[in-house]
Amino acid sequence: MSSQASAEGQQNGQGAGQEVTGVPILLDGVTKQYGSKSAPAVDHLTLEIPAGSTVMFVGPSGCGKTTTMKMINRLIEPTEGSIVIDGEDVTTMNGDELRRRMGYVIQAGGLFPHMTVAANIGMVPKMLGWDKQRIASRVDELLELVSLDPGQYRDRYPKQLSGGQQQRVGVARALAADPPVLLMDEPFGAVDPITRQRLQEEMISIQQELKKTIVIVTHDIDEAVKLGDWVVVFDEGAHIQQYDSPERILSDPANDFVADFVGRGAGLKTLGLARVHEVPRMEAVVVTPEQTPAEALRQAEESGHGHVLVLDKQQRPIAWPSVEQLRRAEKLPHIHEENLPVVGTGATLEDALDTMLVSRAGAALVVGARGRFEGVVDLDTVMETLRDRRAGENQPKAPVGTNDEDITLERSPETGEITIVPSGGGAR
Amino acid sequence: MDYVAERWQQIAFASWQHFSLVAQCVILATVIAVALAMVCYRSERLREFANGLTAVGLTIPSFALIGLLITPLGFGVLPAVVVLTFYAILPILRNAVVGLSSVPSALVESARGIGMSRTATFFRVELPMAWPVILTGMRISSQMVMGVAAIAAYVLGPGLGGLIFSGLSRQGGANALASVVTAVIGVIVVAMILDAILALIGRLTISRGLRV
Amino acid sequence: MTTTANAESTAETTNRSGLRVDRGSLRSLILYPVILLAILGLLILWLLTADLTNTERVTLAPGELWTMTKQHLWLTLVATVIVLVVAIPLGVLLTRKPFRPFKGFISGVANFGQAAPAVGLIVLFATWIGYGPTAAIAALVVYAVLPVLANTMAGLDAVDKSLIEAGRGMGMSAWAVLWRIELPLAVPLMLAGVRTALVLVVGTATLGTFINAGGLGLLITTGVNLDLSRVLITGSILVALLALTVDWVGRVVEHIARPRGL
Repeated sequence: MSSQASAEGQQNGQGAGQEVTGVPILLDGVTKQYGSKSAPAVDHLTLEIPAGSTVMFVGPSGCGKTTTMKMINRLIEPTEGSIVIDGEDVTTMNGDELRRRMGYVIQAGGLFPHMTVAANIGMVPKMLGWDKQRIASRVDELLELVSLDPGQYRDRYPKQLSGGQQQRVGVARALAADPPVLLMDEPFGAVDPITRQRLQEEMISIQQELKKTIVIVTHDIDEAVKLGDWVVVFDEGAHIQQYDSPERILSDPANDFVADFVGRGAGLKTLGLARVHEVPRMEAVVVTPEQTPAEALRQAEESGHGHVLVLDKQQRPIAWPSVEQLRRAEKLPHIHEENLPVVGTGATLEDALDTMLVSRAGAALVVGARGRFEGVVDLDTVMETLRDRRAGENQPKAPVGTNDEDITLERSPETGEITIVPSGGGAR
Repeated sequence: MDYVAERWQQIAFASWQHFSLVAQCVILATVIAVALAMVCYRSERLREFANGLTAVGLTIPSFALIGLLITPLGFGVLPAVVVLTFYAILPILRNAVVGLSSVPSALVESARGIGMSRTATFFRVELPMAWPVILTGMRISSQMVMGVAAIAAYVLGPGLGGLIFSGLSRQGGANALASVVTAVIGVIVVAMILDAILALIGRLTISRGLRV
Repeated sequence: MTTTANAESTAETTNRSGLRVDRGSLRSLILYPVILLAILGLLILWLLTADLTNTERVTLAPGELWTMTKQHLWLTLVATVIVLVVAIPLGVLLTRKPFRPFKGFISGVANFGQAAPAVGLIVLFATWIGYGPTAAIAALVVYAVLPVLANTMAGLDAVDKSLIEAGRGMGMSAWAVLWRIELPLAVPLMLAGVRTALVLVVGTATLGTFINAGGLGLLITTGVNLDLSRVLITGSILVALLALTVDWVGRVVEHIARPRGL
């Protein structure tokens, strides 16, 4: 699926070769109406959620994003329309059985306080009739997946865990029966900012490994663009304002509503999306500590550079003196200098910019595995990369999402696959 | 109905007696309970002691306590007042201790900081803040003591409880049932009236800043 | 009676304060029965050394006392079991969605009834059903339903709604959520209600003597009627000890049955 490609592009190009374990979800003309006179909470929503991708629902409170999510596992029954999961219409099947096939994570984890961590995680497998042995080994496996030591945490009660740990157990519990779909309602809302960041990063790496179909409801646009392959911006009545990649949401908001919601500093937010390895790297004047300052100066003048990089035998940066410093120096430094402006290839452009701003050279040294020098990035190259990204080139077309009532769906008779044929203007 | 109409005055008087006995005992109990709470609320150990005392006191059946008091105090008003006041103290004491000890210590400190004396701090800051909780205790007490007062009629005689016992002693006789029904309903009505009065007192005396 | 307190506000104040007398203090749970036994011992010692009249000796014969205690406990037990059977399912029912609208009404009626004097109820039931244990039990049940009902509802209502949603969200049926999440989490408050009811019933059962229902109250009325102060005092102390013992048993059960992790 195209979404897989996009997920890889998003998330650091890793995870290639991983199988998509998620399944596609389709909301087909779904409406939720409370009472007959009020405006519908969700109004004729048709939304395609591609298999194996992370789709973020964002919008102001009361916009219907949570209601929409809860209709996917039918905690809230739709008034109209149907929910199709992996080609199967689940609108009328037994809700409890449906929910056992989906993971569900709520704010603060929603752990049962009278049960141990293991009992919490083992709940769904137990309902599905797994034997004890299998449940126990699955619990340990999941605790390791969410970076908790099974021996230490298995038999604890939720109140003996920190907020972040509870949230991790909540995620582990949702993944217990290896469901293809994971629904998360403000999953990281109840933890402090630093823990939230760590949990988000872990979520990204878990998803790279598992490739589930994940729907996350959040009111935090930063979280949405950070975690999502696709972001849906809703307004009241779950009216889609934009359904697109995080880059295009940031760089090319469909209307004022989205622009307002994204807020100022959208360009800066893009910095958090791009990684240093995407930026073209420049050469540097490289010398060894054994050479004399004079030799180094000559090399620098020949190539017209203002700085000279001293590398050790393992190609790790030792120092990065300027031409002026070289003129005063009697010999080149042998000892690794602290506070060198170094960034890893996996760092975000935001981190890279931070590093550059405190660097005397106005640039940063990029190092790869084992600290080996790989090149130099400077402000110009970073900005250029940003401009390219904002242009949104080479990006797959967004999945379909619309509130248009005149949309038609076509089922392929051979594969059973559902394709959407918008009779109107198509996806907004 | 006829029964009530015929003895309207007698019933009204019995109700008044019941009401006034309970109200006076609750007032007396409030004074004692708040004084006790003043002594207890600062010390963790005394607080626990007060709470333990309340729990044990509430467990002792009122009829047993009445029985115990007959020997030293005889029959009459005295044992009735002692028993009623004893039970009325318990919920008020518990709530007063809770109310006083949950006044934020920062508030007490700031009151001391602006130069209020220890006594002034208690009466101008701590007591007013604990007052809603104390008043709740008084309402619980008065409801509870209503029933105890009916039993106390066993040693006291008059009041609505007296009607119950007189109905009992004329078992099967004319008006026995009517007398008991009247008394039961009378106690409920009196209880509701007293509760309404206490609620009204609450509206008038609780600082508007403390109302939710 | 002693705990005629509006059970809902009692529960409220207990919650607000967070102060519970048995707050984790295993020591007081162990000390409690020792004190009760000591008082019982003193009472027996006093009776053994006292110069009892013939009537007193007959009334206070150990066999006689034991019979009355058994009657008293029987009244208490039967009434409490009926209360549990009535109040807990009713409490569960009234917190289920379709029945919620009735909750206010039922609570109102129960609160209202709670203000009725226990002695009046007992006499009333006796005039209606006839004198004897049945009338006493009926009155006790009516009287003790409220604390259990109120605490069952309060306990179920206090269960975090997000936990119920989490349970439903992971595919538990409404029934499973009730049994595995709501009821276990409501247990502490429900047990507190049951203990309140038990203490209420033990105390009120004393009044059964007025309608020939037996029980230890008989000692008190006999003591008063025949002016036998030793019988009166013995009866009063035994009733108090019985109530305190029942309270202690209730606390021990609460301590053991409280779900771990809370």
